[in-house]
Amino acid sequence: MAMRQTPLTCSGHTRPVVDLAFSGVTPYGYFLISACKDGKPMLRQGDTGDWIGTFLGHKGAVWGATLNTDATKAATAAADFTAKVWDAVSGDELITLAHKHIVKSVDFTQDSNYLLTGGQDKLLRIYDLSKPEAEPDVVSGHTSGIKKALWSSDDKQILSADDKTVRLWDRSTMTEVKSLNVAMSVSSMEYVPEGQILVITYGKTIAFHSAETLEQIKSFEAPATINSASLHPAKECLVAGGEDFKLYKYDYNTGEELESYKGHFGPIHCVRFSPDGELYASGSEDGTLRLWQTTVGKTYGLWKCVVPEEENAEAAKARTTLPGTAEEEIVAEEIASENSDTVYSSTPEVKA
Amino acid sequence: MADPIPVPVGILRLPRGPDSSGSRGFSCNPRNFQNPHNSQNSQDFHNSQDVQNSRAELRARFLRLLSSARGRPARFSLWNGLELRAEFGAADVHTGAFQVDSLQTPLGIQGSALLRCGDVLEFSFPLE
Repeated sequence: MAMRQTPLTCSGHTRPVVDLAFSGVTPYGYFLISACKDGKPMLRQGDTGDWIGTFLGHKGAVWGATLNTDATKAATAAADFTAKVWDAVSGDELITLAHKHIVKSVDFTQDSNYLLTGGQDKLLRIYDLSKPEAEPDVVSGHTSGIKKALWSSDDKQILSADDKTVRLWDRSTMTEVKSLNVAMSVSSMEYVPEGQILVITYGKTIAFHSAETLEQIKSFEAPATINSASLHPAKECLVAGGEDFKLYKYDYNTGEELESYKGHFGPIHCVRFSPDGELYASGSEDGTLRLWQTTVGKTYGLWKCVVPEEENAEAAKARTTLPGTAEEEIVAEEIASENSDTVYSSTPEVKA
Repeated sequence: MADPIPVPVGILRLPRGPDSSGSRGFSCNPRNFQNPHNSQNSQDFHNSQDVQNSRAELRARFLRLLSSARGRPARFSLWNGLELRAEFGAADVHTGAFQVDSLQTPLGIQGSALLRCGDVLEFSFPLE
C-alpha cells in the first residue's frame, strides 16, 4: 500500500552513505552515526537528525561506524586500513588501530571495553581498548572478506558474515561454533539481543535466524534487491530498503507489506530502527540520510501532527519559519515536490 | 465509505546540517563540558604569535596564487578520473567551490559554473 510521509532529510555528506548506527537511549536522548564514502563520519541527534559534529581523521572511505550504548564513544572502519575509536562528546580521535587491509565493520562490547573489527583481510580482531598498543586476539576461518562482525549472546559469542557464509564463534575458545551457507551474497546483518534474532538480507530476501543455532525462523521476499533491513524493537514490524530506492515496511508476524515510501534518489544502503522504535533512518547512494516515522501522524521529534481545524494556522506559521539557507531551501523544495501538494495543503476531503 | 485520507504530518523545521564555517562541530554539544585545560593548551599553541604570522603569510601567498589564476585557462582533475578545462574565475572564502567560465563539458560549453572543491584533486594553469 503506497502511503505518504514527509521524511526528515539530513544532508551534509558529499558521497554515498553506506552504514549507520544508533546509540542506546541516554539522558541526552539518543544519537546516530553515519559512515560515508567521503571519509567523514558524522554524529547526529537521533530524534531530530540535527548535525552535532564530524569525525575528522580518516584518509579513505568509511565503511562502518558504530556508537557505544551511552554514545560516549564512536568507532569507525575505513578503506585507509584503519579502525578508529573516537570520543563522541568532544569529537577527538582517541585510538587508531592499524590493519592489513580495508576494514569494514566495528562493534563495541556492552561495557565498551573491547572492540571487534572485521574486513577484507578475512580476520576478526578483538582489541582491548584499555591496552590499544597490545596485539589483538585474532580469529581466522573466513575464506572471503568479512562484511559485518557483531558481538552476540551478551558478548560471549561473535556473529560474522562474509560473502557467502554467516558464522558463529565462541569468544573464549576463539573457535567456530556454527556456519550457515547463504545462497547469495549477504548484503547486511543485524543482531537483536532480545529474542536472539539475526536479521540477514541477500538478494531480494529478508531472513530471520536464531542467533544461537543459526536455524532459519522465517523469511520474506521483497519486490527488489534489498541491501539492508531492520527489525522493530517490539518485533511488530521490520523495514527494508535496497536497489529500487524505496523503503518497505512489513508486518513481522504475517509478512504482509504494510507501507512503502519513495524519497531517496539512489539505492538505499542501510536502514536502522531507533532504540525507541519511533523512527527509522535510511542511508543512500544519494548522500543523504532520511528519518521516517514508524507511526505516521504522531507528534515526535520534528514531526508535528496537524489537526485539520488548526491546519491553516499551523501551515501559515510553518511557512514563515521555514529556514532561509540555500541548501535547506533546495531540500525543502525537493520534499514538497516528492509529496506534491500534501505538506501544506488545505483540509483533506473525506470520500464516501 | 473509504477511509479518510490521512492528514500528512507537518514538519517543524528541517534537520540542521553541518556548520557552513567548515568547523568539525561538537562545540554546541551540552555534553561537552570536559577537559577545559587540554583544549586551552592546544589553543595556546595554535594562537602563538609565530604560528599566526606563518599562517598569515601562507594565506596571503595562497590568495595571490588564486588571483593570478584568474582569467587563465585551467585544467581540473576530478576524483573520478575526469579532466575538465575551463577559465578560472574565483574561489569562495573557504575554498569550498571554484567559479569558472567557459567550462568544456561533453554536452557543450557551460558559460559559467561552480566546481565543488571536494571533487577536485588538482588543478593547473599556465603562468604566462
